[in-house]
Amino acid sequence: MTTPVIDPQSAAVPPALPPAPPAVHVQLKSPGLAFLLSLLFPGMGQIYNGQPAKALGFFFAFVSAIYAVVEINPMPFALFIPFVYLYNIVDAWRTGVVINNRGTSAALPEEDVAESPAWGAGLIILGTVFLLHNLGWLDLSRLSRLWPALLIVVGAAVLYRSMRKGNRIEKGDGSSL
Amino acid sequence: MGLRFSPERLVVGLGLVALGVLGTLARSGAVDLLTVVHTWWPASLVVWGLAELYNTFAARAGGRRD
Repeated sequence: MTTPVIDPQSAAVPPALPPAPPAVHVQLKSPGLAFLLSLLFPGMGQIYNGQPAKALGFFFAFVSAIYAVVEINPMPFALFIPFVYLYNIVDAWRTGVVINNRGTSAALPEEDVAESPAWGAGLIILGTVFLLHNLGWLDLSRLSRLWPALLIVVGAAVLYRSMRKGNRIEKGDGSSL
Repeated sequence: MGLRFSPERLVVGLGLVALGVLGTLARSGAVDLLTVVHTWWPASLVVWGLAELYNTFAARAGGRRD
């Protein structure tokens, strides 16, 4: 009587696994370099992070603020220059960290911004106001006396968003319980 | 509807075309390039904003369809 011969090597081979997905090449960013580039000029760090739209936005915001200080009135536009400059630096560094943490491209944070109509509406309002000023139909130097009203609007918007976020969290907690 | 594009590229492309047209007109003496650009540059912000809004609502409409 013959016993079947089992090859120990073939018996030890586990069942075939499904093929692994193709490796995605992820280009990590240096948050420090993004920080330094944005320190040199607003928008440079965003270009390095692969966010050309945001870079263009920071560039235009910076140039527009300088233009408004020189051509219209120092206040409140002088406040925008350090705000845009510092925010651009912090954003470049933060986005670099986010890209590295997520291990994905920079498309995610940019798409989040693009989904809000506030960005487009803001650009239209800003462009219309400057255009009306240039055509002589609106005097921004007179209007600039009302700059504290801008703080009220921004503050109210921040409060509104904070309350909406709070409501969403409450609803989320309620449904999960 | 539902066509999505890159708004900033649209604005840069249109801006270059507009500058080219204005430059050509300025060469022929029809317009003063600096005056026109100085007056009308905010129109690029308006076009950019419109493109961003279109893109946003196109994305939302696409999301609902999905």
